[in-house]
Amino acid sequence: MAADGEWGRSCPFAEDSFSRLPSQSNIYGLASCRGPEAPELLLATLKGKVICFKYQDLRQKIRAVARELQFTYIPVDAEIVAIDTFSKSLPKRGLVVGITFIKDSGDKASPFLNIYCDYEPGSEYNLDSVAQSCLNLELQFTPFQLCHAEIQDGDKQETVFLLSGNDQQIHLYKENEDLHQFEEQPVENLFPELKDLPSNVLWMDVYNLPSSTCRITAFGCQSGFVSLSHVDQTTRVVLQSWTIQQDGPISRVLIFCLASCCLREEVRSSVLEATWEREHQPQDFNLLVTSSIELSVVYRNVLKKGLQEQLLLPESDQYDCVLCALVTDVDFDGVQEILLGTYGQELLCYKYWTLAGPAQGTTYPTALCQSEGEFRLLWKRSFPSPLLSMAYLDLTCDGLCELVVVSLKGMHILQHSLAQAAQCVLQRLGQKVARLRKGGSAPESLMTTKEGATEAHAEKIQEG
Amino acid sequence: MRSLSYVQRAVLEFSGSLFPRAICLGDVNNDTLNELVVGDTSGKLYVYKSDESKPWVTRSCTGMLTCVGVGDVCNKGKNFVVAVSAEGWFHLFDLSLPSLKLDASGSHELLLGDEQKVMFMQHIPANTKVMLINDIDGDGQCELVLGYTDRVVRAFRWEDSSENSEHISGQLVLLKKWLLEGQVDSLSVNPSPDGTPELMVSQPGCAYAILLCPWKHTQPYLAEDEVPSAACSDIKSQVSAVKLMKREAPVRDVVLHQTSGRIHNKNVSTHLIGNIGQAGSGAGDCKSGLFAMCTLDGTLKLMQGTDELLWSMKVDHQLFALEKLDVTGNGQEEVVACAWDGQTYIIDHNRTVVRFQVDENVNAFCAGLYACKGGQNSPCLIYVSFNHKIYIYWDVKLERMESTNLVKILETNQAYRDLLKQLNVGIDDISVVSALLHQTLYFPEREEQDASA
Repeated sequence: MAADGEWGRSCPFAEDSFSRLPSQSNIYGLASCRGPEAPELLLATLKGKVICFKYQDLRQKIRAVARELQFTYIPVDAEIVAIDTFSKSLPKRGLVVGITFIKDSGDKASPFLNIYCDYEPGSEYNLDSVAQSCLNLELQFTPFQLCHAEIQDGDKQETVFLLSGNDQQIHLYKENEDLHQFEEQPVENLFPELKDLPSNVLWMDVYNLPSSTCRITAFGCQSGFVSLSHVDQTTRVVLQSWTIQQDGPISRVLIFCLASCCLREEVRSSVLEATWEREHQPQDFNLLVTSSIELSVVYRNVLKKGLQEQLLLPESDQYDCVLCALVTDVDFDGVQEILLGTYGQELLCYKYWTLAGPAQGTTYPTALCQSEGEFRLLWKRSFPSPLLSMAYLDLTCDGLCELVVVSLKGMHILQHSLAQAAQCVLQRLGQKVARLRKGGSAPESLMTTKEGATEAHAEKIQEG
Repeated sequence: MRSLSYVQRAVLEFSGSLFPRAICLGDVNNDTLNELVVGDTSGKLYVYKSDESKPWVTRSCTGMLTCVGVGDVCNKGKNFVVAVSAEGWFHLFDLSLPSLKLDASGSHELLLGDEQKVMFMQHIPANTKVMLINDIDGDGQCELVLGYTDRVVRAFRWEDSSENSEHISGQLVLLKKWLLEGQVDSLSVNPSPDGTPELMVSQPGCAYAILLCPWKHTQPYLAEDEVPSAACSDIKSQVSAVKLMKREAPVRDVVLHQTSGRIHNKNVSTHLIGNIGQAGSGAGDCKSGLFAMCTLDGTLKLMQGTDELLWSMKVDHQLFALEKLDVTGNGQEEVVACAWDGQTYIIDHNRTVVRFQVDENVNAFCAGLYACKGGQNSPCLIYVSFNHKIYIYWDVKLERMESTNLVKILETNQAYRDLLKQLNVGIDDISVVSALLHQTLYFPEREEQDASA
């Protein structure tokens, strides 16, 4: 390929900070939430401790701060399995933290789900007070992944916990507003696609299709079974569903679009929400499936082709099990890259290549829907211990996201090369100014966008 | 405190045991690329090159090697390897012979049997502990300085008697012997305010001593008094001058400096490193050199001149080795201190700290430039473990010492400030600025559409 040389073949990240953990974490151990000033990370470790991590701005300098957050009702002999957080769907307010753990007191191990949520006005988002108000649910199964999904319940939005277990079921926990607590509800009422599972689910992913009442749900099982469903939320009918049997446990499934204008809601910043709704284009939806023994694969265009069009991620089976995956744009070209973290201590980055070369998303995101193309390994980076989970978010509050990689020994915060990012910003802002000059329009697009975003928010609330 | 994990490392095999100062980095074969020299307690000398786990050259010496060094000790314009044993055997090796270059695989030992031999050996006083090869008197010639376990420091000079450059013959001549009150753990050279080098040694309790070279100090004295005969630079007149001085006043050749009253343990082992590179220090600058000190109970200090303390800090790790290394590539050398448990501190002149933890106990540590990969020198941290391994963390460069973000980096850029002004964005409104940066980086096509709309 002629274009090979142009594309950075080396990892664009440099480590900014590494925090050691008192004990190891696992693949379900990382969650992030929007803190009062900066985003905060919650990292659960095996020996019952939760580390809260963020960047603080102190005397014109930023620095990484990690502290232990004391969640109440976690016994000293507990081993944490999973942690998850979400903000309640508007118009309700508040942060919810779910922690599953196993209390092993000698003869019998008993699993629990603790849900933390503060109803006191003013402290709904205060992690320290949230950590003190706990609902303790004993489980009848060994818990696996704890995740959340936003659902359309009648005419309002609601976010619920989904918990998979070793009983070949997925359990749903929904807030009962009158009692101010969460309770288990039959999963098939809201998620008809999640009943009668053939095996234990190791990872599930729920993707609400923008400006539609439909969603895509995918899950991967211990047995290698992968399922994908297209569901209408209002009628609660499974429109289409596809399944496939792979070899070996499925470590992760992830639904994504290649063009980064189609970012998932949790990543999308509020600024863009307005334009997002308005300029929504038909997209390709893809499913990434990472396996513990096979090559990881991407099923392209799943809503049209189901699980037929399979693209392999080369070399993804060369570094032991793939344990975590992330899809995000790490080179600012408008096309998302796939990041895989392996037990073999490697972080792999894949980029989509069309016949013409590396995919360019900045101009025609629709062009990415074309099926011919392949994923190529762009770069890899080694770590000192196996990788367990990842996140990509703006911890330093500068608009530039950081890559969080949790390894067996600790948490690595990788920052983009600031010199490169600054150069990119200067170049693009320069172009923007030049365009505005040429167009003769007043340079206030940004401000209007922002106002538009808040308006859109307000509308949403009223609709709710 | 910022903490990091370095990943790029090479592992070398080293089965012996060593004294903490029997390891050093230097260009042993004069090809501008640095090698790693290690001596063990059985007298074996190993030279490692690149990331080869097996030594490139091994040599046998007499006695337990306590210190090794690389430098132009013979003042011939090229580096030699020096290995000194506790029993007082001084060994000199020339590893830049062309025949060595032919074979880099390490199998040349059999072929070149006679070159295995030590090039030069001499017995000097025993009980050596630390060594320094440097110009200590400002005459442009290297001296060899040895510190002893019996609190003595001796300086030697190589007196060459060889006819041609092919074969080296000569001997070490004792220049001076200094007696100190406490154990000497480090020898270093630091520029004095007038730019001439000063020999500094560490003393217990975070103290240090400056060792005066009488032959150096007599020169200006002679120049003043005996201008007509100033040209007489022969040893005899120097010696007589020294005697003259001795008669006039008792010679104080050791100047001890205590650096702090808050030292808990006056006997704590102390290390020192001098001549720490300062950014923008041109040849014309006559600033005193920077030097750093560390103690086994965790005190770290950076000082300039005799009494200007730039910073001091206390850590809860037992620091046993101190080095200097420019990790940011800005010309300023950072202080690198290592503890027995592998905790390593990299500290710049503004007291910004970066920590790095090696997961093993450390037997010996050194830091410097080493050509580990790609045929070029890069800053490296080198740890000798207790498990027959040497870990080389190579290319330990950092973009900067302290954490920062894109907004802070861009704020210093005038072009960026102008652009923001043209976009009617207030530079102080951080939330708007970061939203703008986010959109610019991740959603550039939106702007194009906005503009065309």
